[in-house]
Amino acid sequence: MERSKAFGTALASILLGGGALALAGYALASATPHQGALMCQATTTGNCTLTISSFPDSLAGEHGKSGGAHPDWVSYSNDNLVAPANTTVTMTINQYDSGGALNNKAFFSRVWGTNGGTATISTPNAAGTSYTTATVSKVDGTNVGHTFTLRGIPGNGTPIFVSVPLPADPATNSVTVGDATYSSPVKVTFSFKTGTPGVYEWNCEFPCGGSREGQFGYAMSAYGYMSGTLTVK
Amino acid sequence: MAEMKNKENLKGMFATWVILTVVGVAIGIWGPARLMPRSMSDNMHLTILTMVVFTVAAAPVAAGVYAVTLHALRHWVHKGDNVPAPAAEQTRENATLTASWLIASTVLTVFLLIWGLGALAVDNGSAGRNPLVVDVTGQQWLWTFSYPGSNVQSPTLVLPEGRTVDFHITALDVTHGFWIANMGVQVDANVGTTTQIHTTPTALGQFDIRCTQFCGLNHAFMVTTGDVVTKAQFNSWLASQSQKA
Repeated sequence: MERSKAFGTALASILLGGGALALAGYALASATPHQGALMCQATTTGNCTLTISSFPDSLAGEHGKSGGAHPDWVSYSNDNLVAPANTTVTMTINQYDSGGALNNKAFFSRVWGTNGGTATISTPNAAGTSYTTATVSKVDGTNVGHTFTLRGIPGNGTPIFVSVPLPADPATNSVTVGDATYSSPVKVTFSFKTGTPGVYEWNCEFPCGGSREGQFGYAMSAYGYMSGTLTVK
Repeated sequence: MAEMKNKENLKGMFATWVILTVVGVAIGIWGPARLMPRSMSDNMHLTILTMVVFTVAAAPVAAGVYAVTLHALRHWVHKGDNVPAPAAEQTRENATLTASWLIASTVLTVFLLIWGLGALAVDNGSAGRNPLVVDVTGQQWLWTFSYPGSNVQSPTLVLPEGRTVDFHITALDVTHGFWIANMGVQVDANVGTTTQIHTTPTALGQFDIRCTQFCGLNHAFMVTTGDVVTKAQFNSWLASQSQKA
């Protein structure tokens, strides 16, 4: 009797513990640290467009008017991009931030993996009244605001590597984005082809996060700021 | 009567030791090549061989521990609340047994030490007369590869089969770990320091390159692919990348 009671208690403990672990695992697997999805807008068959921005703070974009928990952290406007499989994505990034020198200038000042190996960059003048447009395969690595660097994870979708440097914004005028005020952005447009369904990671490769981790702390070490995913489905 | 039973028990323990040793040796011979990543270099061949030799050499020792444990659990367990009676016969101060154990342990340990130092010397030896130098740069959260003598840079690694590759590894921000499991190559990438390690690819095919030092938010995604190709394919790839640059 005593034995069967002890056995029953042990069994119940194991089942309860296992259940609690399974529940915690399910909750963790279901949770996503990312923001709401930004869908690539279809234009013609096999083509779609995505437009995002990079800001010097978090006062515009997905963090809301107050900038969320860290209003002074640099951020991309969206960190959860979604595009169809086997589609040409034409992406425009409005770059509102200032810049500096890249860590690995020779590599990250180049445009990698885009259609034609180029990006089209429209740079405003200081007053923000006019733009100069050029199609380039490389930029000045000492004056870059951020990079958009997208890569596939082996075994998860088609191998892909796209990296585009976003030059620093030279404008000094004032434009309003939501409730925030910046200067006219540098507009960088490029296109790339998605492959098979999968989740691809992207992040900025300019050391813009601050703190002691090689300037890759703070905004660079938290979801929702300078990194995100591209879900291809 | 008790003495005879004790001897029978010891025979059983010896038989268990022999059986477990055979199982351990079999696992040692069968396991490493099948459970470890596919070997694609001379370093990985040596690593797998070292695992085989060490596992086989350790099998009798592990089997001995398990055999004594099982023997004790089976025959030296006292059931009941009363104090157990003293054992009928105990083996104490057996010089032959002690000397055998000490000599066997010493021989085994010295053998493993010599093998380990030899394997380390092979890994750390010269890269040969005409190695292909590849500069490896780790940074959050990407590996980049440059081929000195050309203007080629790449986010993926392409290597020719049969030619020794001398990796010159560094990091730009924090410490990373450069690991090609299929080639038995793993070394830290440190800021401000260039570390060299070499290997000779011996099999065609793809492999993954991972970071083994936790380096921040996207550490888990600091993975890229590599490819071992024929010498002709490598030269062709190098030429095409050189034109792009």
